[in-house]
Amino acid sequence: MAQASQRIRNFSIIAHIDHGKSTLADRLIEYTGALSKREMEEQVLDSMELERERGITIKLQAVRLSYQAKDGEIYELNLIDTPGHVDFTYEVSRSLAACEGALLVVDAVQGIEAQTLANVYLALDNNLELISIINKIDLPSAEPERVKQEIEDVIGLDASEAILASAKTGIGIEEILERIVKTVPPPKGDDQAPLKALIFDSKFDAYKGAISYVRIVEGRVSKGTTMKMMSTGKTFEVTEVGVFAPAMRIVEELKAGQVGFIAASIKNVKDTQVGDTITDAENSALEPLPGYRKATPMVFCGLYPVEASDYNKLRDSLEKLHLNDASLVFEPETSVALGFGYRCGFLGLLHMEIIQERLEREYDLNMITTAPSVIYKVHTIKGDILSIDNPSNLPSVDQIVSIEEPVVKATILVPAEYVGAIMELNQEKRGTYSAMDYVSTSRVRLTYELPLSEIVFDYFDQLKSRTKGYASLDYELSGYKETDLVKIDVLLNGELVDALSFIVHKAKAYNRGRKLVEKLRGIIPRHMFEIPIQSVIGNKVIARETVSAMRKDVLSKCYGGDISRKRKLLEKQKAGKKRMKQVGSVEIPQNAFMAVLQIED
Amino acid sequence: MPSLYVHVPFCIQKCDYCAFYSQALTDTPRELISLYLEGLEVEISKRQKDAPQGVSSLFIGGGTPTALKEVELEQLLGMINSFFAMNLGTEKTVEGNPGTLSVEKITILRRYGINRFSLGVQSFEDRLLRAVGRAHTAEQAREAIRRLREAGFKNINLDLMFGLPGQDMAFWQASVEEALSYTPEHLSLYGLMLEEGTPLYVRYREIKESEKDRLDDLQAEMYEWAVVRLKKAGYRQYETSNFALPGFECQHNLGYWRGEDYLGLGPGGVSCLGRERWKNIEDVHSYSNLLLNGQSPMDEEGKEALSLRECMAERMILGLRLDEGVNLISFQNDFGADLRDIYRDVLERYNYGDVFVFQGDYLRLNPRYAFVANTILQEFV
Repeated sequence: MAQASQRIRNFSIIAHIDHGKSTLADRLIEYTGALSKREMEEQVLDSMELERERGITIKLQAVRLSYQAKDGEIYELNLIDTPGHVDFTYEVSRSLAACEGALLVVDAVQGIEAQTLANVYLALDNNLELISIINKIDLPSAEPERVKQEIEDVIGLDASEAILASAKTGIGIEEILERIVKTVPPPKGDDQAPLKALIFDSKFDAYKGAISYVRIVEGRVSKGTTMKMMSTGKTFEVTEVGVFAPAMRIVEELKAGQVGFIAASIKNVKDTQVGDTITDAENSALEPLPGYRKATPMVFCGLYPVEASDYNKLRDSLEKLHLNDASLVFEPETSVALGFGYRCGFLGLLHMEIIQERLEREYDLNMITTAPSVIYKVHTIKGDILSIDNPSNLPSVDQIVSIEEPVVKATILVPAEYVGAIMELNQEKRGTYSAMDYVSTSRVRLTYELPLSEIVFDYFDQLKSRTKGYASLDYELSGYKETDLVKIDVLLNGELVDALSFIVHKAKAYNRGRKLVEKLRGIIPRHMFEIPIQSVIGNKVIARETVSAMRKDVLSKCYGGDISRKRKLLEKQKAGKKRMKQVGSVEIPQNAFMAVLQIED
Repeated sequence: MPSLYVHVPFCIQKCDYCAFYSQALTDTPRELISLYLEGLEVEISKRQKDAPQGVSSLFIGGGTPTALKEVELEQLLGMINSFFAMNLGTEKTVEGNPGTLSVEKITILRRYGINRFSLGVQSFEDRLLRAVGRAHTAEQAREAIRRLREAGFKNINLDLMFGLPGQDMAFWQASVEEALSYTPEHLSLYGLMLEEGTPLYVRYREIKESEKDRLDDLQAEMYEWAVVRLKKAGYRQYETSNFALPGFECQHNLGYWRGEDYLGLGPGGVSCLGRERWKNIEDVHSYSNLLLNGQSPMDEEGKEALSLRECMAERMILGLRLDEGVNLISFQNDFGADLRDIYRDVLERYNYGDVFVFQGDYLRLNPRYAFVANTILQEFV
């Protein structure tokens, strides 16, 4: 059996968004004939509609390729795809842990980006064999030599062997496959040892239950095995094992070195947590595989149904999404303005947006999302330390001794000419400079400590617009820091709308308070009465705007020929109004609750 | 007894704001009008049975009925008269535009017993007329009014529009004042509506929200001014956009707003008998050919069986346009329910600021809210 595992290669692809990861995966699939060109949907791995639209991989997937190498042997190549966004660093690390090698794909024009670098470090942490690929060499502006130099300077990898490729035109594909076979080590694990399978992803299937995507590290598993989750001790009877070819195909058994799936009629994806180890309940491994941790959400927001009657539907939908995404956390919350809803925690902003969009598209929910918040640590005069993930729960000023906010270590890679712009931005965002170095003659790596709340606010947008999109960012939570923070509340027509409250640094409070009411004036439609909008700190009004009363909303003509049409017009108007949230006597459009994010400092 | 509407889907040219079915005569061969009249005659003869006791009023609208030639107009009036019985005093309206009203045509109208004329003046300012693609001048409007009076019309309505592109308060006031100087028995004042699918809608689509608000405010000011001015001149505002000297309210239109039955003939005509509503196909060719082949000219998509709920909603949204309001007894008789029970929620929600007023057997909308009525009316749909 050891013989067979000698012909297995498990690898993933590390690349920045747009550097051609999906296209490369497609070419590999096509070349090895896992799917014929005609069968192949464009970019097979990014199968979620949302992913297609955003051009990024959110949920990772795996595919098994069968490749006859030049040495005449047929190899089983398992490509494990990784999500390409900072929000999903942990998932990436688990996918990488399931591999022995990785393809480092760098755009021949753009060079190395911060996110690529972060993932390279993860790969090196996992002792992966890296194969450097310089992609898009067909572009007239390609600079493979410069990029090679960058790989050597920045990562310290020998780039002399880097493969020059164009996933788009197919250049270098065979060379990549050959290199995988030659340099990526075959998996080691003993297939006679007790079962250890690393879960690198899981997915809920209506018929099969929660399916674990696994790399078998040691031992073997087949239908009928009683499996045990090592983090919880829960046991399940395996109903199916299989591989991705790329569609799921049932096989007799999976054994050490292989990549595939295990189904066990598991009702909840919570029981198939990424990073957990599956073992055989009757012949249990002593130690789980290292590296498991529960996903920790960093960004929180409130999700409320526009129609109170949709509350249960929202809960069911969140639970269904949770089936496929254990990193999503949520708990019931009540807002005076918005009623019953959920406070949800996400890995990051992108994760938050994805969940919101899926709730709206796939579950047809009409929702209000409040502006995202981080977790503040509040020291009270009673000596308690409170974790506040919702600004409206912040105690009153006289109860607070101090507030700490989360800070991150941010790494920004940027062409040298934008260093000034980045420094200026980081200063505005209350950043603390820690280091700067040249990764090549023209590219600079800046390291800052930044408050996470500023990153959540509009950092990405600013970073993009101030560097024409050339800067890239990676960050990790580095701790908490005491800061001078205040809470701004918003009054609409004299009534406090708790869902609009936000916490901000004192020095920025006046400006943001004023900009927010200006923004809200543009968002809140006219009503039959005048609506004052005020932002206040404590009892002090810091800004005020007014939405003047609506004066015209009438069907000037309505006769026999168009009564139906006019009735439908009113129905349409009413439906539009239904999409708004009524708070007191004021109808508030959904985007008002995110308005604080749309203002500029 | 239903009222009768006859649609004449031809105009000299299409106005930029108009969403009604009509085609410009410039690209209409005259034979199409003959075909229209042939088809219409079949429809009239067939539909006579829907009004066994005759009709309560007649309104020939369009389009521009007076865009027809004398002989065509005569043919049209003749066929209506021969199939539908009307009392001597029945209100019979024809609408038309300045520039299409020859003395001969007016004489024909009188001869066939037309006793009310509705003239699309819109504005007495040529620049504004041109700006919305009207095919006539202010001078032609003045001439038309004079001819109508000379021919003996004692019930004339003038349509005026406000909120036209480039129209300011002074222009509006001047048009209203001039209209009043002719002492029309009836005035319809319409705020410009941007209807989907019209050239004007496209022209205004790109304007900013704040500019839209400004234009809305201006329309509201024009409207409020006119309401006060017309009241002073002795007109009663009996509906959102309609004003009449006592006794000259348009009976035909009152029928629509009170929820009475109506027959609408011609291409695009809409009929409503009880809870059945249907619309004729909006195409002269198909309309006439179907009829001439013994088939129904009905547009399948325009066919509705109104639910009780929809009927009640319409009664409310139409009735609340009227100064008199919705009649509680008719509502009870027609729907077997008290509207105060059916719409208790809405009536309670809007109990502030006298939005609704109960007066005798009627529920009225406070006229103060007439120009922002949609917000309230949508509660009923």
